[in-house]
Amino acid sequence: MGLSHAVSERIVPKPANAPLPVLVAEDVFVSYGGVTAVAGMSLEVRPGEAIGLIGPNGAGKSSFLAALAGQNKVVKGRVLLGGTEITQLPSYQRARLGLARTFQMTSEFAGMTTFENLLTAGMGVEGAALSNVILRHRANRAQEIGAARRAWAVLQRFDATHIANLYGRELSGGQRRLVEIMRCLMRSPKVLLLDEPMVGVAPHLVARLVRDLKSLRDDGIALVIVEHALEVVRELADRVNVMALGRLIASGTYDEVVRDESVQAAYLG
Amino acid sequence: MLGTLVSAIAFGIVLASVIAIAAMGFTIQFGLTNVLNLSYGGIMTIGGFAAYLVTSHGLSAWYGLGVGAVAGAIVTLLVGRGIFTMYARRGARVFEMMMVTLGLGLVIDYGLQALSRNNVYEFTVLQSAPFRLGPIILTPIQVIIIGIGLALFAGLEALLRLTRIGKALRAMAADPALARACGIRTRQIIVLTWLLSGALCGLAGVVYIINSQSVGYTTGELFLPLVIAAAILGGAGSPAGAVLASLLMGVVTQVVAAYGGSLYSTAAGFGVLVIVLLSRPSAVLTKQANEELTLA
Amino acid sequence: MSAWSFYLSTLAVYFGVDVLSGISLNLQYGYAGVVNLAYIIFQSVGAYVAAATALGPDTGAAAFQHYIFAANLPFPVPLVLATLAGGALAGIVGLFSLRRMRRDYQGAIMLIVSLIALQVVTADVSLFNGSNGLTGVPKPLSWLPLSPLAYQWVYAGWVCIFCIAVYLLVRWLSRSPWGRALKAMRDQEEAAGALGLNITVLRLQVFVVGGLIAGLSGGLLVEYIGAWSPGAWGYAETFVIFTAIFVGGLGNYRGVVLGVLLVPVVFLQVTQFLPQIGYPGLMDSLEWVVIGLLFMLCLLVRPRGLLPERKPLAAEGSLPFEATGLLPYLGRRFGKSAA
Repeated sequence: MGLSHAVSERIVPKPANAPLPVLVAEDVFVSYGGVTAVAGMSLEVRPGEAIGLIGPNGAGKSSFLAALAGQNKVVKGRVLLGGTEITQLPSYQRARLGLARTFQMTSEFAGMTTFENLLTAGMGVEGAALSNVILRHRANRAQEIGAARRAWAVLQRFDATHIANLYGRELSGGQRRLVEIMRCLMRSPKVLLLDEPMVGVAPHLVARLVRDLKSLRDDGIALVIVEHALEVVRELADRVNVMALGRLIASGTYDEVVRDESVQAAYLG
Repeated sequence: MLGTLVSAIAFGIVLASVIAIAAMGFTIQFGLTNVLNLSYGGIMTIGGFAAYLVTSHGLSAWYGLGVGAVAGAIVTLLVGRGIFTMYARRGARVFEMMMVTLGLGLVIDYGLQALSRNNVYEFTVLQSAPFRLGPIILTPIQVIIIGIGLALFAGLEALLRLTRIGKALRAMAADPALARACGIRTRQIIVLTWLLSGALCGLAGVVYIINSQSVGYTTGELFLPLVIAAAILGGAGSPAGAVLASLLMGVVTQVVAAYGGSLYSTAAGFGVLVIVLLSRPSAVLTKQANEELTLA
Repeated sequence: MSAWSFYLSTLAVYFGVDVLSGISLNLQYGYAGVVNLAYIIFQSVGAYVAAATALGPDTGAAAFQHYIFAANLPFPVPLVLATLAGGALAGIVGLFSLRRMRRDYQGAIMLIVSLIALQVVTADVSLFNGSNGLTGVPKPLSWLPLSPLAYQWVYAGWVCIFCIAVYLLVRWLSRSPWGRALKAMRDQEEAAGALGLNITVLRLQVFVVGGLIAGLSGGLLVEYIGAWSPGAWGYAETFVIFTAIFVGGLGNYRGVVLGVLLVPVVFLQVTQFLPQIGYPGLMDSLEWVVIGLLFMLCLLVRPRGLLPERKPLAAEGSLPFEATGLLPYLGRRFGKSAA
């Protein structure tokens, strides 16, 4: 289509020795309930890069993110993580390959303390396996102690040790979002998908969260952020992709994209 | 051979009518409030007992139908507005709500057992001679039951499609939040839901005991899974779907009974419910909305 | 005096068996969010298998009964087989009917599965002797030279040993990383999957572990009563145990013990001592009415139950559940740090 051709010409050209993209989506189609939510969307993220995904309501941003995470089924197209094809893999296997995500409604484990939330993430699959717990008890215990140490380090890094022993349901909106992000970090992910991370976060905490996410980006984690709050996108994103009606309609830096006529039309029209 | 099959199908249609009346009520209630009400069977039994009390004092069976419907409507309204709302206010989620209805079902069933002194009473109010239609042997009462089912279905569809209230009901079944935003008086609609589904429930109880010719505290018990299966198979909130599904359930159980014995027919009916619940996409927990109750 | 002692020892056996049931259900629902409203069928399969494998072939003295698994296995093999049968049935049922779905649908499915099982076992006489059930199950410890009363108390102690062992084992598992994974699955299934946990496998595992305990409880019970028939297992039995664990408190196993003490034991037994009012059988009906009301009241007034969960506190350098209590404190104060 003419539009996507024009868009691909405006994508910032890669320097010669840039790292390979860690997450690639090629021409992804997602449909459910008879509605095509995503109609041919592509994406590329490199390590240490943050990509903002914006667009009017109903554009398919969250559906696309959910498809990247494995929650929605991809009917056409491909998704690759670190070069491995993950299009048909269920979400728990994508997680094991280095994908982490947050949810539109915060997904902290309400019946466990913050520390337990982090510990669960830190132990991962092998640590929680029943056979390991029963048969390889000593190694499992050692792994648990190691994960506990890492959990404390993460809590200290985010100045959150005072909420370590609060149940998930006792936390404020911003704290829940922080727990979600810290939990993702415990998995040492390569890619972090964030679905409207600032929803429910008090305004004075948004700046703190943006700073925290920037430090993750600086650590080399690739971020894909769906967000309505454009100031957050401007602060955080290296590149911005704009979606409307399930497709990509513009891509570039934040400033380029907000000046684009087709983007303005999509938001207003 | 064919005669057995045709006759079983005919009985199946009779049973389907009884299931359909109950399933229409259940599907309206479940579709609008999202409560899987396991005390529905108990309320059916209350309707049956109410009819029995009325007719045992000399009034005709038609009064029994009316009284059964009224009893069902009143009890359901009290239970829905009085009891269920209390739990919804405390943030009960769908499973906890279902357990509450299960507990309530125990209270009703065994309360009725206590009140009826564990007796089973005969309900032979509408006896008449059977007639033949080829291999099929039916009584006029069974034909009347089919007629009642059809009449109720027609009336319900007319209500839903031709009246403003019906439109409001359908809107709320589809999307309660949107309906509220459109200015529909959701509280009143919910009250109407309890009354309407309760009336159908009580009526179903009376029709059931007319068909089985006896009433006891276990009347609604084994019947309820068939009703739930029909309601969910037909799509929650869709009376037409409930009727079609009831036809399926009725015919299947009667055909299995004809060839395999009645105990296996009950198991077959239950098996259909399990398969239905496992395969409905609405059963999959994908959205938060699936766990919410609409009680006010 | 000995009648009282007989009664109490019987009560003790039932208490122990119900505690086992409560532990199984609390693990499955309280910790993992799995709604096993079909619990009673796993206890029953354990009872039937223990009975059938101890009764010997269906000829001779037992010729009036028909059943499968006929064998005359010595103690304690039937009990082991009962445990395994509970786990095996749980595996089969779980594979078929445990899915990602709304919990009330899942609960309804389990209820219906238990009703189907009841129908099938009653209808197929060759399976476990249909509605008459199995009788004449030999008592396992009868080779001990004991008076009938002493045997009662020894058997109660025997059950008690299992209770303590299962209690400690399940509590340990619940505090382990596996237990935490279960709680994650209970709270946020999708997010738990996004952390790499295989929810389907976890669900099946907890169902089978619960099934093993259920089978054990059934075996212990049938070896005490000596008989087992479909009349003993309706969905209402599961409801009583659910009420017990809700009343006691879902987040912990002390709550299970308290709940089982209060509901099946104190509550239901109190009616034995009240004067018989009304017609015979009235009290039985009213018992069920009261159980239903008790559950509804509990969920309304005290949904968390009587005993709250003990919060797993963590401090730097220690794991949850280590930071609390006297021993850890002494360890930190006087010993090396927990590193």
